[in-house]
Amino acid sequence: MIDLLRLTWTFLWLSFLCVGGGLGVLPEMERQAVSIHRWVTAREFVDGYTLTQLTPGPNMLIAVFVGYRAHGLLGGLLAGLAMFLPTSILAIVVSHHWQQWRTRRWALLVERSLLPVGVGLMAGGVYTLARTAVHDGLTAALALGTALVVAGDRVPPVLVILAAGGLGWLLSA
Amino acid sequence: MRRPSLLRLIVAFTWTGLSSLGGGRSAYFHDVLVRRRRWLRHDEFVQDLTLSQVLPGPNFSNLTVVLGYRLAGVAGGLWGLLSILLPGAVILLVLGVLYVRGDFSPGVTLLLRSLSAAVVGLVLVTTLRIMRGSIRGGRAIVVAALTFVAVGPLRLPTVAVVLVMAAASLVLHRSGPADPLLPPDHGTGRR
Repeated sequence: MIDLLRLTWTFLWLSFLCVGGGLGVLPEMERQAVSIHRWVTAREFVDGYTLTQLTPGPNMLIAVFVGYRAHGLLGGLLAGLAMFLPTSILAIVVSHHWQQWRTRRWALLVERSLLPVGVGLMAGGVYTLARTAVHDGLTAALALGTALVVAGDRVPPVLVILAAGGLGWLLSA
Repeated sequence: MRRPSLLRLIVAFTWTGLSSLGGGRSAYFHDVLVRRRRWLRHDEFVQDLTLSQVLPGPNFSNLTVVLGYRLAGVAGGLWGLLSILLPGAVILLVLGVLYVRGDFSPGVTLLLRSLSAAVVGLVLVTTLRIMRGSIRGGRAIVVAALTFVAVGPLRLPTVAVVLVMAAASLVLHRSGPADPLLPPDHGTGRR
């Protein structure tokens, strides 16, 4: 019960750390969910994130996965609500006033200052995933190969991931 | 611009949520709402996109809520959010139940290992693209690099890192718009 509240509270404050994309919050989410509270293992965390990449909707549905792993359906529901509802209400409130704010000097300054922080957090997210997911020559080759094909922009990303996954599966089986 | 009824908004958002797999998800919204259905102008979309990136919270849900609010008020924002979350959440839960119960055969587990390595490649490209479009000038590069090292390899708590780096970034950027032609420390200490 206490842990369920802790789970909900953790994903609530984590949701406010998503500056410039969900990827940026992954390092802290992994720290909390794997190292500190042990709701999931490092492997389960990366597998969960992979599943959210393969299913529709935002990647931050990983909150639902972690919540479910830790406390069943109720855990999944509460973690999901905590991740999406409060920030959405904030978005509606700010959106209502943004027309008047957006040309102000301070608004431009905030936007320009937060952008590089957000990008640094995103790069940290890539690092966090890679630390668990890339551990030998094959997984490194799969990651690099996927990056090259995705950068080419000819094939839908989901197809590239599925193809690379299938290839890696054949090679390692 | 015609504004849609709530029902049509829910249908359009559910479809966008279902079809938005793996990366570049805001592009799907642009395609559906601006190009196909013409519910929004391009400049309205760009404004909402920028706002959704500056606001704390998952980008894709922020964008959904802001677009939904513009199109159909508070109800549009909240129903829009539910429309993109629910289908994915149900599918993910089904997969999660199978995963946790260990119903995945060793073969599927092996496949998941390969898939997650591939996902690293995808998020790397996404990050590099965003970096290229949004990082201008030495100050921004230094802030981004220090933030990365702190939360990535050093595994420092993100809250502390964001507080320190955001404050440092505000101080660095307060001297007018970044202009690559001026020396990086131009104007510091004045203002």
